[in-house]
Amino acid sequence: MQEFLESIENSAFSSYIRESPSVLGYSTVLALHTFGMAFLVGLSGVIALRVLGIIPELPLNPLKKLMPMIIAGFWLNAVTGVVLTSLAAVSLFRNWDFWVKLAAIVVAIVALTKMRRTAFADPPAPDDAPGSPEARRWAKVMLFFWGLAVLGGRLTAYATYIRIQSAAAVVVAVVVLLLVARALVRRTNRRSVEARV
Amino acid sequence: MEQFLRTWLEWPSVAAFIMKYTWSWPLGETLHFFGIILLIGGVGMFDLRLLGVAKGLPVKAVTRLLPWGVTGFFLCVVTGLMFVTGVRANVPMSPYDVIKSNVWLQLKLVFIGLAGLNLGLFYVTGMNRAVDALGPGADAPALAKVIAFASLFFWLGVIYFGRLIPEGL
Repeated sequence: MQEFLESIENSAFSSYIRESPSVLGYSTVLALHTFGMAFLVGLSGVIALRVLGIIPELPLNPLKKLMPMIIAGFWLNAVTGVVLTSLAAVSLFRNWDFWVKLAAIVVAIVALTKMRRTAFADPPAPDDAPGSPEARRWAKVMLFFWGLAVLGGRLTAYATYIRIQSAAAVVVAVVVLLLVARALVRRTNRRSVEARV
Repeated sequence: MEQFLRTWLEWPSVAAFIMKYTWSWPLGETLHFFGIILLIGGVGMFDLRLLGVAKGLPVKAVTRLLPWGVTGFFLCVVTGLMFVTGVRANVPMSPYDVIKSNVWLQLKLVFIGLAGLNLGLFYVTGMNRAVDALGPGADAPALAKVIAFASLFFWLGVIYFGRLIPEGL
């Protein structure tokens, strides 16, 4: 296994991407990985916001049309992710944080698939129907594991004690931000209902 | 002026805070990425609708996503300021020298400015009111599409140049 990983890491392709002085090498692959993340997580998050009833004004069924862009984001990240992994295969395969990130991505993708199936059922639910309890559950699971995957990706380069401290700090920051967001969403939704009345 | 900026950019010392609290840099990085996701999920989604993606969505409903995008932008601004003013925690350079010499950071800032001007154009030309009335299936005016395309281009450019900043350090 070790030899196999070393041969990947030392292949001509990996060496070229890793050592190329051109910005079109490593940094561009990294940027493409960020684009993929933004479209995959950002647009699937839009569907989750509707399913969870946070933005009830969005009609449900047209959101299905976002799936091709979400899938494109996934494949962009699968390809760039394999390339980035090949650059440091030996150390990444020994890094538990890397496996947490991969496991979180697998669970988030499963949850995304389940949310899509339950939210866009056949025959389709009315556009103004609230998300089913099952779809809501999968939306929550997906958002949580996307957050964990992003966090895992960010912390790969750090020592274990910094990872644990940082993860705790992220949890505190996210809880504070969610409380603020909940207050703002409630106020906006109340105003929106008052405007309709 | 230079001395004033050199002092002001490092006061209070963000770098000292980052060095003391090792969790602060990865926290900033994670929140920066959450910000990017919110920005593309909010502003990017609005641009995509104007460009004809998921046309069944009425534009007025999609505008409800914009506060999420703006929140993401501010998360990125706050954490981005932390990275620049606290840069000395990672490299032996002053924030002033980084801003002055790092072409990728300069391009990122220019693209943020262009995205802002583009947003201004959206309002000045009255496109904001024109698209508000677009119901399910309705096509956006050509100018609104051009502005939406430019917006996506500038924001993706901001992300791209941001990723290149370490190349210039």
